[in-house]
Amino acid sequence: MTHIVEVRGLVRELSGGGAAPQTILHGIDLAVPHGQFLALTGASGSGKSTLLYLIGALDRATSGEIWLDGVEMGGLDDDDRAAFRNERLGFVFQFHFLLPEFNVLENVALPMWRRGIHRDDANDRAYEALALLGLEELWKRKPGQLSGGQQQRVSIARAVANDPALILADEPTGNLDSKNAEIVFDVFAQIAGDHGRTVVMVTHDKDFAMRADRQVQLRDGRILADARRGEEIIPPSQRMRQVSHSR
Amino acid sequence: MAAVANAADRRAEVRRERRVAFADVRTVWFIALRQLWERKLLNGIAIGGVVLGILVLIAMNGIFSGFSMKFTMAILKISPHVIVFDTELRPQPSILARHEGTFVATSVAHEVPSDRQARIKRPSEIVRALQQMSEVRAAAPSLAGMALIEYGGKTKSIDIRGIDVDAQQNVTPLNQFVKKGSLGALAVATDGIVVGSGVAADLGLHLGDVVHAAAPGGRPLDLKVVAIIEAEIPPVDKVRAYALLRNVQTLLGKPDIVSRIEVRLWDENQGFAAAERIERMFGYDAEPWQETNGNFLAIFAMQAMIGRFIVAAILLVGGFGILAVQIMIVLQKTRDIAILRSVGLRRLDILRIFLLQGLIIALIGGAIGDLLGKLALIQLAKLPVKMEGLVKSDTFLIHEDPSFYVYGVVFALVVGVFASLLPAIRGSRVEPVDVLRGQIG
Ligand SMILES: Nc1ncnc2c1ncn2[C@@H]1O[C@H](COP(=O)(O)OP(=O)(O)O)[C@@H](O)[C@H]1O
Ligand SMILES: [Mg+2]
Repeated sequence: MTHIVEVRGLVRELSGGGAAPQTILHGIDLAVPHGQFLALTGASGSGKSTLLYLIGALDRATSGEIWLDGVEMGGLDDDDRAAFRNERLGFVFQFHFLLPEFNVLENVALPMWRRGIHRDDANDRAYEALALLGLEELWKRKPGQLSGGQQQRVSIARAVANDPALILADEPTGNLDSKNAEIVFDVFAQIAGDHGRTVVMVTHDKDFAMRADRQVQLRDGRILADARRGEEIIPPSQRMRQVSHSR
Repeated sequence: MAAVANAADRRAEVRRERRVAFADVRTVWFIALRQLWERKLLNGIAIGGVVLGILVLIAMNGIFSGFSMKFTMAILKISPHVIVFDTELRPQPSILARHEGTFVATSVAHEVPSDRQARIKRPSEIVRALQQMSEVRAAAPSLAGMALIEYGGKTKSIDIRGIDVDAQQNVTPLNQFVKKGSLGALAVATDGIVVGSGVAADLGLHLGDVVHAAAPGGRPLDLKVVAIIEAEIPPVDKVRAYALLRNVQTLLGKPDIVSRIEVRLWDENQGFAAAERIERMFGYDAEPWQETNGNFLAIFAMQAMIGRFIVAAILLVGGFGILAVQIMIVLQKTRDIAILRSVGLRRLDILRIFLLQGLIIALIGGAIGDLLGKLALIQLAKLPVKMEGLVKSDTFLIHEDPSFYVYGVVFALVVGVFASLLPAIRGSRVEPVDVLRGQIG
């Protein structure tokens, strides 16, 4: 198995309360190999978040297949997908969601407690993850006592501490100033490069997207372009041929 | 070899599954408790509602049941468990009416009531037979009637009972109520009378005073007060008097007549069953104490019912308190729910978190309610009140029924579960995607 993510003919429709169903994703095909740092770009409303949450087993496809590490998500029920997220996936969101009642270490360790990892082990691993992000000094603080950039780094620590196969990030730098955005981006690059993890990151930042291993651009629910670092962006016509070829 | 490895794998798998199952419960507890701890004010409000409900439940029940138990206990001492009356259940029709429809008499238009005096025939035989019954502890014949007594220019109508002192003592332990004098003197003196404390107070009677007693159809007697009794039930103490059976028969002009037999049972709760058996055996009307005191007992039943309504209403309010707080929390916490779901908590875990929080609020409310209820009962019992209605007392009559502390907590838990069910279900239905996407862009 060389690909950790394989998406085939993925369609997502929204049946908006009586109105005609709105198609958000029109048959996406995408394969992400292990260890790749992939940037997902595209205009607002092009379907990036929708695709990311489908890959992250948070949402259900209307049709098509999503294979994660050899498991087809459509065949799993709600609880199995929750367990899958817990054990295999790490999420980072734009609005650095942390639980306000828990301190930094607890926020990072909680998914591991849920998984049944012994509390001391989980806390050790959480501490290591915090150290990786240069946050070990802050482990006792509550999220409310941290800056936005620090909070986002804590949520990255939470995403990586569980040692997931795949890390999904939805505009993790979107709410940060350029300095913090740079730090956060570097962390992702490091996680993917040095630690060999797969990262799929939605971003609006052209510069960041260029520096990723691969850049996939969406427009109106279709893949518009797909390029490796340094490569020319593949024109849409060729992309369409590729899709029909792979079918 | 492979089979062994498989078995070992399976055991490892089972261990892992169990560890995970345990882990999710522990995580749920941890989250539930921490979130509760971090919002003390809101929870305090919800707990307050429950506390109030349980407090009222316990205090109200303590007062109501204290009052009714005191009354029941007092009435059971002064009132026999079963009274056998002189009304025959199957009276023989008059001689003429017996031949109705026959050659002798085709119909009997208007039967003149006989002037035969109501009485229990062969009372001592019935008393002996009653005493043979397994459920009967004692039986005593007596004659009850109304008489006027006069002392110092004042007169008063009394309910006078002619008794056999020893036999009556076994049925209704009168000497427990003796305030002054002694019952024994009634048996010794030939012309003694025992009066209730209310009678004595109204006429200004003291021990040794001689009253003039009279009743229509009888012969007036001068009787000497040998004892004053107080059952602490004003309706009884104000009218009751006892004298020797023989004297009352003379006074009421009913020589040799016994109008009722009073019975004491081993188990007063068997009143209805015993009365029914006695009726069947002897053919006389027998009335259990629950029927004799029916109107009082009905008041208590009504009181208990009203109390239950009030408690139910307050618990309902407490439940709405939990409901309101929990709904607020669930709405406030959709972000956190989405996060928890994204890191792998199941819908059931979310449901459990909110149910658990509701239960904990209810449990704490129930425990504090129990405690305050207990303190309230202690204070109420000390509160001086002058009561002189059905029961006479100087303080609140408090009956502390330990089972109500248990009920309190159980009710609180039931209310807690029901009140947090709706918010918990709502919380478990949150779709993480809707929340995490945030604004579209
Ligand atoms: N819950 C929803 N209700 C209505 N429209 C939605 C909803 N979610 C997504 N959409 C629509 O789907 C499209 C893609 O949304 P999204 O995946 O969030 O885009 P992106 O993340 O690329 O900005 C948008 O046109 C948006 O209007
Ligand atoms: Mg988006």
